[in-house]
Amino acid sequence: MFENRAIGLALVLPAAIFAAALFLLPVGILLSEAFRTETGWSAWAYVEFFQSPRNQTVFFRTLKLAGLVALVSAIVGYAAAFAIVNLPATSRGRMFGLVTLPLMISPVARTYAWLVILGRTGFVNQILVDLGLTETPIRILFTETAVFIGLLQLFMPLMIISLVSAMENMPRDAVSAARILGANWFQVFWRVILPLTREGLVIGGTLVFTGSMTAYITPAILGGSKVLMLETLLYQRVTVANDFVAASVIAMILIVMAFSANLLLKQLATARSTR
Amino acid sequence: MLKKSLLAVAAAMALASSANAQDRTLTISVYSFSQDEFKELVYTPFEAICDCKIVVETGNSIERMAKIEANKANPVIDMAVLSTHDALGAARAGLLQPIDTAALSNYDKLYDIAKDPLGDNLGIGYTFYATSIVYRSDKVTVDSWADLLSPELAGNVALPDVTTNQGPPSLYMIGKAMGDTSTDLTMPIEKVGEKADDIVTFYVRSSQLAQLMQQEEIWAAPVGRFAWGRFKDNGLPMEWATPVEGQTGGMNVMVMTAGNGNEDLALQFMDFWLSTKIQTALAEALVDSPANSEVSVSDEIAANLTYGADTVGQLDLLSPSTILDNRESWLDQWNAKVVQ
Repeated sequence: MFENRAIGLALVLPAAIFAAALFLLPVGILLSEAFRTETGWSAWAYVEFFQSPRNQTVFFRTLKLAGLVALVSAIVGYAAAFAIVNLPATSRGRMFGLVTLPLMISPVARTYAWLVILGRTGFVNQILVDLGLTETPIRILFTETAVFIGLLQLFMPLMIISLVSAMENMPRDAVSAARILGANWFQVFWRVILPLTREGLVIGGTLVFTGSMTAYITPAILGGSKVLMLETLLYQRVTVANDFVAASVIAMILIVMAFSANLLLKQLATARSTR
Repeated sequence: MLKKSLLAVAAAMALASSANAQDRTLTISVYSFSQDEFKELVYTPFEAICDCKIVVETGNSIERMAKIEANKANPVIDMAVLSTHDALGAARAGLLQPIDTAALSNYDKLYDIAKDPLGDNLGIGYTFYATSIVYRSDKVTVDSWADLLSPELAGNVALPDVTTNQGPPSLYMIGKAMGDTSTDLTMPIEKVGEKADDIVTFYVRSSQLAQLMQQEEIWAAPVGRFAWGRFKDNGLPMEWATPVEGQTGGMNVMVMTAGNGNEDLALQFMDFWLSTKIQTALAEALVDSPANSEVSVSDEIAANLTYGADTVGQLDLLSPSTILDNRESWLDQWNAKVVQ
């Protein structure tokens, strides 16, 4: 037993050293920048960061948009995943391919497409005007709505993939059994599907939330400097102001938010299952 | 046998090292704008006459300045081109050395304002640009900087972000149009802040602006003349405004990094770039407006550039030290009043 463990450790060591030397150490140095002052260590940079009303707005906007994208992805994703899983095998494969297709197109190309679609002379506004819903084209670009739409399209496939694989692992007849026993569709979802797929929801939710929070291209192109998010603010601090302290503060906030989201989702999932 | 092959190796190594000694390299740090044209018109022709190799590093000013600063003790970059205010910042940080203008055969041909814009020969202007307002002539008429905030343009105008080179000069001109010429920019920033909802976006790249104009998202925006080529042929009725308050603009300079040890080659390259022939070629390709007063181009080319002593003399420029000293304060005011 001991011998096995020693071998195991020996096998893990090179990878561990590699990760520590090339990832953890540089990240640690970068993040410690925000705590280092001329007189010693302090968390003053964080206090200062959150004292600025602009930074507060950016922080809450990021939290709100990433949360909304994750929530809407989950709602739409459950419906889509349920439909996909219940298709016959061949069309299931095709549908799954369609859902994951956007993931194979570069985010830059996709975001530029949105720039055209959401523009004043774009597809969306043409339809709105043709249907008589609005007389003059409405402004969508460079608003939070545009960023939300871009992020949703970018990350929803990750949620659907996670939920489909979770549902495929669900016992085949669980849903029919619940129906036969008299559960309505809401009860089926809440008491059967949700508890059985919570792992998928946690993974999908974390991926979508973290992805939306740390996306750069989408908020940069569709939001611009009027709809700054943490990631675009970070970039601005480094490239415009050469302010690595603020950048390091933002990086730390993003890491903490990602871990918190994961923990929170796990907590929610287990809370449901023990009831 | 062994001795013989050792000798061969030694001979080969000696050959290789003497070949290296002849392989001179010049490392330059430039804007990423129009690099294909620069390679064709400047770098390749220079390599043909200097028996050297040019290594080009590109990026935005902050990235490139950070690199020069990081390698201060042992410079990698020999010469760089920067905006006047970034160059002044680099000079104040001790990253530059004076340029030996006596070694430049083309120096006397430069417009006076290009000869020593930073003082102490720390930089030489190689191009200027005017900044004015480009607009849709079928939708609006723009003849004052104040028109940018007019009701006719509400919801149809983009402004440069305060962090861009066009930002502060444009704000200064808006202030001037409203009767305030102080360089603290407090008044114009406040006015822009009041109208922030009417401004489609604050752009950071002129290429982004060209697309917005093409898509009819905006009808007007302040822009540098170097980008005019992207607008004039976009199929829409475009006009370059000549506001009553005048046009503003900027200048870019060449600088020599301190203690790079490659001064002779760098000087030779600067002189080449400033020569009438190269400045003419760059002007004809609509890459850069000339700083060399002997450059003469057709009326059609001139119409697309910032060309001629008269035009250059009339530009209402913010001085590099004004920009450098106020930049932080402008950004703070901007963040408080405009982008919340």
